[in-house]
Amino acid sequence: MRIQPFIYLEPKTLKEALIMLDENKEKLRIISGGTETVPLMKLRLIKPQYVMSLKRLSNLKGIREQNGKVIMGAATTLTEIIESPLMNSSFKGIVEAASSVAAPQIQNIATVAGNILQGTRCLFYNQSEVVRGGLEPCFKLKGHLCRAVQGAKRCFSVYQGDLAPILIAYKAKAKLERKGGGRTVAISELFSGNGKQPINIEGEEILTRIILPLPKNKKSGSSYQKLRMRGSIDYPLASAASVVYSDEKGSIMDVCVVIGAVGSSPKIVPITSLTKGEELSIEYIDNVAQAAYKVAETVNNQALPGLYRRKVIKVLTKRALNNCLRDIHGGR
Amino acid sequence: MDKFSLIGKNMRRVDTTSKATGEAIFSADLVLPRMLVGKVLRSPHPHAKILNIDTSGAEKLPGVMAVVTAKDTCGDKWGVFRYTQDQQFLPTEKVRYVGEEVAAVSAIDEDTALEALELINVEYEKLPAVFSVEASLMPNAPIIHDAYPNNINIHVKIDVGDVEKGFQESFYVREDSFSAPEDSYFQAEPYAVVAQFDHSGNLEIWMPNAGPHLKAKPLSNVLKIPLNKVRVRKIRIGGAFGGRSEISPADTICALLARKSQRPVKIVYSREENSICTRQAHSMNATIKTGVDKEGRVIARDITCHMDGGAYSSTGPIAVSVPFLCMEQAYRMDNVRYNGYRIFTNKPIRGMFRTHGRAFACGVDLQLDMIGEHLGINPLEMRLRNARQKGDYTPTKSYVASCGMSETIQKTGEMSKWNEKWGKLPPYHGIGIGCNSVQTGFPMGIRGGSQAFIKFNEEGGITVISGVVDNGQGNDHMLIQIAAEELGLSANDVQLINADTEVTPSDPGSYSMCETFVGGNAVRLAAQDAKKKLFKYAASALKVDCSVLDARDKKIFVKDSPDQNISMSKVVRMALSRGEAISGEGSYWPKVDPKREWVENPSGQLSETFSFGTVIVEVTVDPETGQVKVLEAWASQDVGYALNPIVIEGQFEGGLAMGGQGGMLTEFHIWNDGRVLNPTQLDYKVPLAIDMPKINNIIVETIDPNGPYGAKEAGMSIAMSAAQAYCGAICNAIGVYMNDFPLTPDKILKAIEEKDTK
Amino acid sequence: MEKTTKRIVKLTVNKEIHEVAINVNRTLLEVLREELALTGAKESCGQGVCGSCTVLLDGLPVRSCLLLAVEAEGRHITTIEGLSCGEKLHPLQDAFVEHHAIQCGFCSPGMILTASAFLEKNPSPTEDEIRRALSGNICRCTGYAKIIGAVKALVDSGR
Repeated sequence: MRIQPFIYLEPKTLKEALIMLDENKEKLRIISGGTETVPLMKLRLIKPQYVMSLKRLSNLKGIREQNGKVIMGAATTLTEIIESPLMNSSFKGIVEAASSVAAPQIQNIATVAGNILQGTRCLFYNQSEVVRGGLEPCFKLKGHLCRAVQGAKRCFSVYQGDLAPILIAYKAKAKLERKGGGRTVAISELFSGNGKQPINIEGEEILTRIILPLPKNKKSGSSYQKLRMRGSIDYPLASAASVVYSDEKGSIMDVCVVIGAVGSSPKIVPITSLTKGEELSIEYIDNVAQAAYKVAETVNNQALPGLYRRKVIKVLTKRALNNCLRDIHGGR
Repeated sequence: MDKFSLIGKNMRRVDTTSKATGEAIFSADLVLPRMLVGKVLRSPHPHAKILNIDTSGAEKLPGVMAVVTAKDTCGDKWGVFRYTQDQQFLPTEKVRYVGEEVAAVSAIDEDTALEALELINVEYEKLPAVFSVEASLMPNAPIIHDAYPNNINIHVKIDVGDVEKGFQESFYVREDSFSAPEDSYFQAEPYAVVAQFDHSGNLEIWMPNAGPHLKAKPLSNVLKIPLNKVRVRKIRIGGAFGGRSEISPADTICALLARKSQRPVKIVYSREENSICTRQAHSMNATIKTGVDKEGRVIARDITCHMDGGAYSSTGPIAVSVPFLCMEQAYRMDNVRYNGYRIFTNKPIRGMFRTHGRAFACGVDLQLDMIGEHLGINPLEMRLRNARQKGDYTPTKSYVASCGMSETIQKTGEMSKWNEKWGKLPPYHGIGIGCNSVQTGFPMGIRGGSQAFIKFNEEGGITVISGVVDNGQGNDHMLIQIAAEELGLSANDVQLINADTEVTPSDPGSYSMCETFVGGNAVRLAAQDAKKKLFKYAASALKVDCSVLDARDKKIFVKDSPDQNISMSKVVRMALSRGEAISGEGSYWPKVDPKREWVENPSGQLSETFSFGTVIVEVTVDPETGQVKVLEAWASQDVGYALNPIVIEGQFEGGLAMGGQGGMLTEFHIWNDGRVLNPTQLDYKVPLAIDMPKINNIIVETIDPNGPYGAKEAGMSIAMSAAQAYCGAICNAIGVYMNDFPLTPDKILKAIEEKDTK
Repeated sequence: MEKTTKRIVKLTVNKEIHEVAINVNRTLLEVLREELALTGAKESCGQGVCGSCTVLLDGLPVRSCLLLAVEAEGRHITTIEGLSCGEKLHPLQDAFVEHHAIQCGFCSPGMILTASAFLEKNPSPTEDEIRRALSGNICRCTGYAKIIGAVKALVDSGR
């Protein structure tokens, strides 16, 4: 399939890139790994006038420890995450998530920022013109209806990124830069929850790095659970990420569960805080699973029915938490 | 000394090295001088009248060389059968499915061609459309083809024995219904066509095909040029699986563009176009009523099946019949009635697919499990008691000359340790069995036979000329192996010219599982013909009788005294010096009943022989998510004789992946009113390496009396019996009989939950 | 107004340097096949799912149908045509042929390249690791059994 014609921009420095972004804003699309941008262009779902390459920018790569935090460049590839000793020793859940993305050929090129900032997906939207032709555009195509849910007043496209849920569970932050400034936000704040425009980034901003807290004197457990029909390639039909911290004696201090692919953004599951010394009992975990089910939102716009995906969120949540517990208490 | 030097041995195929290096040329790889890019404009509506097509904008675009519409055709309707002629390749009056061809352009590059398509203005008048068999059969449903006023395209009716009496005499009778949506071919190679005309009006055309001769004749009809001017050329083909046997609109359109542009044109389909605009498999509902005696032997069966055929007939009569015929071959059933209906809908066209009717096959087999449960007979035993036997006649009167069905059941049973497992596995751990049978060729009138020639060079090397086509399964190698064996040559001494309609004689094609049986036999006969002539000269040179001679290692020798020999090249030169150029000719026509017809007369010898197979599969199911893990599979087939065992194993393994792993677990098309929502490799899920179980292959050989060296077929049976085995194993694991396939995790989880609440 | 950038792109493919004048909206796959006549890499899905377009970029298997050709400048590209050495097959190509890991052959170039890169990184893998590494390459013919068998045989033979 053919990409539509565009003008190619090749900034040599971040400063140059920010100027180009500022000049062209929404008419410009960044290409980093390209594994999200190219398919969307081929399907003619996006038709940017400008495509800006990051390949000459050297300071968007690398994973390093700095001042008690881990800094990951936005253009770090998924393979680099999977092979990073630092990631494997301190952020196992992120490695699990990165390993589950698509297939090795994608992981070798796709970047962490690209994976986080991917657009929402829907069987009725992600189609070529052979399928979409002759139909009135849906909300996501700037039209006035939803094809997945008759009579719906909003877009139900699904956020299916694998990295965002676990990064949010690790309380990661993202540095966004623009010409003349920037801001740092929690990864969770990058998502609007609105399928039409799911990402909260202005046209002139670029994500340059991910910042992960590296808690000291704590034990951690983490897990990323992904539901899909095949063992590779596929996006998640539902996912659950959890990170649990304990003190060195194994007393649980903090629990965070984030579910994905069950709504237009990753969702932090509202959890009642643990009282000091409280264990993650079976009952507690059941309650979290129920809470996850409550906030999960699915319709029939994926390969398997929404009701099923929502049901399985409970199972994934439980399995994620149990894995975290095993990490902390040993024996996994 | 081994009986054979090449036959029966694992051999490297002659065509795979060039595939490993990337040198093999597929249709989309072809480049001809001054070649243009062709693109097709497709209907965005499922059912609409074409009021007007304005191509002026496209014609004016610089770089556009030709634009074609129905105006450039003679408007004739084509059909696979004389009685199913319903398709114009560029419609004159109306479109019948989303994706149907409406116009096409040829241009200097792809960007220009795509731009030109956008400049073609088509005025449509939308018509009401139907997207299901039920809707199509409603009294006031829109009529899709005027010639079929109730949208019933095909009705195959078979009634043998006395079914009602059979039910009355049965100890136990049950009726169950089964259904499945479309599955789909997903050949690795998307469809592509390259066509060029020369100034003598000769057409050269390349495309993936399951029978070049079956493409050439319709092309000649449609383009109104003599058959000998249509040359369908040999090209590497990336899979067929029952498709690509009929002429395609793309073939005609590409030829028209090439003729109008007076330059070669290449059309390459996207994956979406391959999924939507070539063929899919049929979706179907099957209601099966079966009566058995106390021992579980089937006395009577009544099957009604409705299939969604899509917008045109295609190979409808065959596709409606084969699911039933496979079952009547596999199992004994003296009293049987079959009503198979193919219904038109405004959906993409359906054709014959390797897994011929999973709802049907799994229905018949699963019902045997259900009946067995009721009678206290285990599924494997049920299969043995009903298995087809050698010497039987099928209900529609085909004689079964060789049959290893029982042997395949017994061997898979033993190897899988069926008796230690069935009924004794823990919850959510199951084992299942499936049996099936496949024809080797069927009546095809004047195109049912294969002919082959062999010519010699003065060194004793040969060229085999045959119409047989290779879609990737190894037919090229098979022909070389047979010719080399017969003539005592090595594979290196044999060149092959095949599947080229200018040069090679006619052959039925690779989709009816007959290439080995019919095409292979023709080559063997041609080799034997040449051998007779060679032996005449060798006998005279060695001063012995022809009857004591044999050929091996490029020599002709006396069997009991091999030191008395003469080289092949010497014999060939001897003949040449006496004014005779040695050659061989052979043709094989399967002994089928020429009066047998799918609809009008579904009785008589269908194929000269049949293959039989069994698959057993062991699975576990995750009761919380409904996901299936396939632990191990045992696949067995009576192939007659394994000409190249490793090639046959490859067919078993591929068939199991397609029919079982994909066909029963993940493959189905999702619809939005006649639009396919999963035409891509991402959303239509064929199995991946990580999903596959360990596969044990058990080749059974019954040495068919008429197959070449006893060989039959090996390409299709396992796909179906695997689907059946997967189905049975999952139902066994969860303790619930399912009737809507494929068994995706949501359906399995629902069945588990409903069972738990009961 | 200019709709597209046309430029000369310098690509290093199989250790040869090529300069091609192309519009930037061309993928690496298109340029390899249409400008450089390297038709071993195939388009089977067009959207980076099936692996038939796999080439090696600095030794790493990537989806060439998802890479803009211009993005591959300055990197070392290896296609299937660059795997064999003159007339001598790469051991993996030989293993694929010997163990009948090829049927229609459409997925084979991508499959072989992916496997070769994997074995460079992991010369003694388990069967599960091999399956996982090849799960981004779709094959419709073989059921993968003999593909895995060919890779295992090569590993076991110690080449």
